[in-house]
Amino acid sequence: MNRASINYAVVRHLILKDWYLNRGVILGSIPIGLGALGLVLTGKPVTFILCIILLCMVIVGIGAQLAMVTTINERKEQTLAFVMSLPLSWREYTAAKILANLIIFLIVWLPLTAGALGLLLLPGATHGLLPFAAIMAAEMLLTNTLIVVAGIITESQAWTTAGIFCSSLGINVLGYVFAHVPGIATYMWGPRVHWTPAAWTILAGELLTVALLLAMTFYIQSRKTDFL
Amino acid sequence: MNQLCIRMEGVSKRYPHFSLDGINLELPEGRVLGFIGANGAGKSTTIRILMGLVRQDSGSVRVLGHDMPAEQTAARRHIGFVSEDMRLYGAATLAWHMQFVASMFPRWNQPYADSLLRRFDLKPQQKIKGLSHGQRVKAALLLALARQPRLLILDEPTTGLDPVARREVLDELMSVLLDEGRTIFFSSHNTLEVEQISDHIAFIDRGRLIALEEKEDLLDRWRRVRLLVPPSAALPQLPGVVQVAGSERLPVLTTSQFDPAVVSLCQDRGLTVQAVDPMTLEEIFVANVQSRRELQPA
Repeated sequence: MNRASINYAVVRHLILKDWYLNRGVILGSIPIGLGALGLVLTGKPVTFILCIILLCMVIVGIGAQLAMVTTINERKEQTLAFVMSLPLSWREYTAAKILANLIIFLIVWLPLTAGALGLLLLPGATHGLLPFAAIMAAEMLLTNTLIVVAGIITESQAWTTAGIFCSSLGINVLGYVFAHVPGIATYMWGPRVHWTPAAWTILAGELLTVALLLAMTFYIQSRKTDFL
Repeated sequence: MNQLCIRMEGVSKRYPHFSLDGINLELPEGRVLGFIGANGAGKSTTIRILMGLVRQDSGSVRVLGHDMPAEQTAARRHIGFVSEDMRLYGAATLAWHMQFVASMFPRWNQPYADSLLRRFDLKPQQKIKGLSHGQRVKAALLLALARQPRLLILDEPTTGLDPVARREVLDELMSVLLDEGRTIFFSSHNTLEVEQISDHIAFIDRGRLIALEEKEDLLDRWRRVRLLVPPSAALPQLPGVVQVAGSERLPVLTTSQFDPAVVSLCQDRGLTVQAVDPMTLEEIFVANVQSRRELQPA
């Protein structure tokens, strides 16, 4: 609606607002994730599986929680009218929502992903798992983006919940598919890291999809005429 | 005439079950417009269009010299907005809200905000979820007023308040308004509030603006005339009669174009004018809406 350029100071204030309102949950989730990583070091196979599941749950759960609170609840709890009484355009609002969700998500995702990948590089670990783990970490970033985009575009709790459901299912299905791609499966349980063309292609595809989803969100938002 | 603060020309917006139809509205700077309509009449849609939050299907809107919705950001730098369906963040304190709003408005006046805190008896460190509904409305008013807007848009801000809280909010609002010379667009279906606070009145019904004029002119024009018609006389055609109630012998006329000459005219025709009663804004609004709905059924 407003074709003027983006006021980054306004976007920054809106991101800080979402950080302030969600900081407790975010900061609280990091120790849980790091604790799960620590338990992996015990070396027991069952603990390893359970901890990886817990780690995935923390990352996906935080992304879903953030999207719900910052997009759907803002409309549901009628705080959107307060935000939109401020001097900002819908481009700025959309940019702030996307950036807030991604940046805050990255605060959780980055240390936990780095920790998980770091563990795989420890002596005695199955180093071959590293490309697959990186692909799955990128998959979680893609999943989170999909949920955020669903929340921003549809402004509907039902559709966002459907997005969360599909994303969670997608992680499992795609994880299974990727694990059986020859370029990955061949080296996955080996002692050395092999970055095959297949691994790079999947990783690049995931990151490209993230970029496309974000571009699509801006496009759709720019065509909306009613915001309250 | 003062510079126009709001100018809406032929503004229409169509929804599946409701249409805003050809709204023409002008509000000069420094005036207080009471915007009255029943629930679902189109008040909130009009306000959302004014705020640039809803794009009109046709017509033009200028607010504080800015085309809406294209220049909504620039316009909103000078608008304070409080609506009945606006909520603040429950988990945050009023102080945080003040800091947040201040960061967006260079004209934020902290000493004024502090004085409003005292006048509204609000504690900045209190979380919003711990405030009563009346306190939340006052907090929202504070956040709107301390940004020193040139235009204050209030969309039914007292809805849902108990009578005591409503009185408090209105008293505080009126005392604040007396201090300032700002333009106010005050929407409500509570005509008593609007009558107290406004100098201009607009009626909206079923998406159409059916009246827009100075409050005193409106109140002066509308009268209820009680007549006694003797058997030998007949009720003459009188200008602006929108309703005739009572009996054939004791009719009560509601006129929207009262003139003292009407009394002489009736007396000349042998009728006795028993009383000429002024009407409240609510009575005028209801009579206006009813007469138009009779002429133009839905």
